Amino acid sequence: MPEVDVSEYSDVWVFIEEHAGEVAPVSWELLSEAQSLMENKDEDEELVALCIGENLDDVAEEALARGADRALVADDPVFEPYRADPYGKQFRHLVAERKPDVVLIGGTSTGRDFAGRVAVPTHAGLTADCTELGIDDEGHLEAGRPAFGGNVIATIKCENHRPQMATIRPGVFEATEPAEADGDVDHVEVVVTEDETVTEVETREVGETVDITDADRIVAVGGGIEGDLGPAEMLADALDAELAASRKAVDSGWVGHDRQVGQTGKSVRPELYVAVGISGAVQHLEGMNDSEVVVAINNDPNAPMFDHADYGIVGDLFEVCEELAEQIGNPEALQEVIA
Amino acid sequence: MTDNWTVLVGVKQVPDEDDVSIDPDTGTLNRAEAAAILNPPDKNALEAALRLKDEVGARVIAVTMGPPTATPVLELAVALGCDDGALISDYAFAGSDTWPTSLTLARAGEYFDADVFICGEETTDSSTGQVPPGIAAHLDWAQLTYVEELEPRPEDDQLAAVRDVEGGWERVVADLPVVVAVGYGENQPRPSGLHRKIYAENEFEPIELDAEELGIDADEVGLDASPTQVGGMDTASPVEREQELLDSVDDLAATLHKQEVV
Ligand SMILES: Cc1cc2nc3c(=O)[nH]c(=O)nc-3n(C[C@H](O)[C@H](O)[C@H](O)COP(=O)(O)OP(=O)(O)OC[C@H]3O[C@@H](n4cnc5c(N)ncnc54)[C@H](O)[C@@H]3O)c2cc1C
Ligand SMILES: Nc1ncnc2c1ncn2[C@@H]1O[C@H](COP(=O)(O)O)[C@@H](O)[C@H]1O
Repeated sequence: MPEVDVSEYSDVWVFIEEHAGEVAPVSWELLSEAQSLMENKDEDEELVALCIGENLDDVAEEALARGADRALVADDPVFEPYRADPYGKQFRHLVAERKPDVVLIGGTSTGRDFAGRVAVPTHAGLTADCTELGIDDEGHLEAGRPAFGGNVIATIKCENHRPQMATIRPGVFEATEPAEADGDVDHVEVVVTEDETVTEVETREVGETVDITDADRIVAVGGGIEGDLGPAEMLADALDAELAASRKAVDSGWVGHDRQVGQTGKSVRPELYVAVGISGAVQHLEGMNDSEVVVAINNDPNAPMFDHADYGIVGDLFEVCEELAEQIGNPEALQEVIA
Repeated sequence: MTDNWTVLVGVKQVPDEDDVSIDPDTGTLNRAEAAAILNPPDKNALEAALRLKDEVGARVIAVTMGPPTATPVLELAVALGCDDGALISDYAFAGSDTWPTSLTLARAGEYFDADVFICGEETTDSSTGQVPPGIAAHLDWAQLTYVEELEPRPEDDQLAAVRDVEGGWERVVADLPVVVAVGYGENQPRPSGLHRKIYAENEFEPIELDAEELGIDADEVGLDASPTQVGGMDTASPVEREQELLDSVDDLAATLHKQEVV
């Protein structure tokens, strides 16, 4: 293996994931977390927002307003919509030219597709699904990730290779609000042309996406609802809660993927999380374990979800949801049960 | 139409996660005791490959990089309908992270002259999802991840796929050769046929390949070629929960009110 002189690498990059002008919220979350990392980096290192796409002026401006010292902008129609091959080639070129020390990428489908593609050619160390980031005494990135169903936090390091890359699931960190933009925009040379690409996006159907990661209350549905969202929606209405789902409910097509909680979805930490007809698989628990109060509604008394809940009701979710919604939605009835 | 496609499927043996437990006294993992199973998302990869075989007459070879004890996952793949199975095994591979793993599988892709290399979304033991894009990157092939459905277009030497993207889906067409990662649960895996099962269990012998046969130098793989190292393991303090079962919805409403969450 070629030896890598790690001292040649500096700066922290955040990949700004953008589709048709819409920035994935996780990008801003990472930009905010990266500002804390900068405190343990050398003074002269920069926090860089990496913007690849088309018509990125507003995106670059917002990145600076959200704390980046510099926006690196590769602006070209070849980058819209996202494809792994042109993005990968452009990224490789930028890494070779500018040698970033750390690169953070959102753990979305696009972010994971991109991270896996680019880590290999640069021989970078890539840690997936991190929930904790830090810099150790020697300046190496410490990437903490849950392993074995969240029972263990493994700290992954990459001491001899650069860049040190990590993907982070949406919702793990909090975004800060934009302030005065202060920094430089660098338009970089675009090194990819359309005729070199090996993929073509024929159709793309994307609707409005919802950000469930900021919700104060969540009603999450699982396989138990059997396609009938009615009772859970009623409960969500009564609680003024956002609707979320397990992967089972998402894969069955009942709820959109943007509302999925868990290892391959989002991390949420609401004040109240009501799991309706969700068994409590480890991949689900990983996304909601930081919730304050957890309620489980399930007709199987042995469902693991009960072990990870504060309060549980063993019963048919269709009945329980409706009854609970009525109680909560009706102040008089609530007064009666409290009395 | 060109010659039939050669389709590789990456399958991995993993510990059954329902069996992985933490020793309450030492805080260490009892991994060894867990039963070894086929990584569940790889069933969807196998099904996608077998559908290509049904549709365009592909030759499907399951490949696994692992110790000889991983052979049962190849037997299962053959029982399901794969034409063959290859075990890629070498002491040099010990300690490999996703970088050398994807390099090794990439070399297998070249060795078999594959047109399509199909993987699962991720493995339940390392859960990185990095191996499929890694294989594609090593080979500079097209990649299609989070795939819901494949649409072969053999007349154009292309493979189209419907992929899951945030908030919707897209149809992407890739020029061959291509690496595919099928979304977990996106198809319904078929059961194995009786005859194939008998063949797999009694007659089938995997193709065996080592580093040298794949043209891999010892220093390209294993621990030394792995950019990431595990710096430490901490037992995560489990979140304390009340775990209180309530008898009625009234009780629940009252309790939530007392807790000031409603
Ligand atoms: C690589 C990988 C990644 C994954 N990522 C995620 C992820 O991000 N998020 C996620 O959630 N999962 C994820 N999973 C899937 C996970 O392993 C589980 O399969 C999934 O969470 C199960 O969903 P569920 O509990 O809603 O459905 P089920 O397992 O079908 O459980 C349904 C539950 O509803 C109960 N029920 C049924 N009917 C009723 C009724 N009438 N009233 C009350 N209760 C009822 C049942 O008792 C049962 O407990 C992943 C899996 C893999 C392999
Ligand atoms: N050792 C291996 N042998 C064969 N295929 C593998 C191996 N490791 C990973 N894969 C494939 O790559 C996919 C993603 O794995 P991972 O990137 O480790 O999460 C799996 O679902 C397999 O299809």
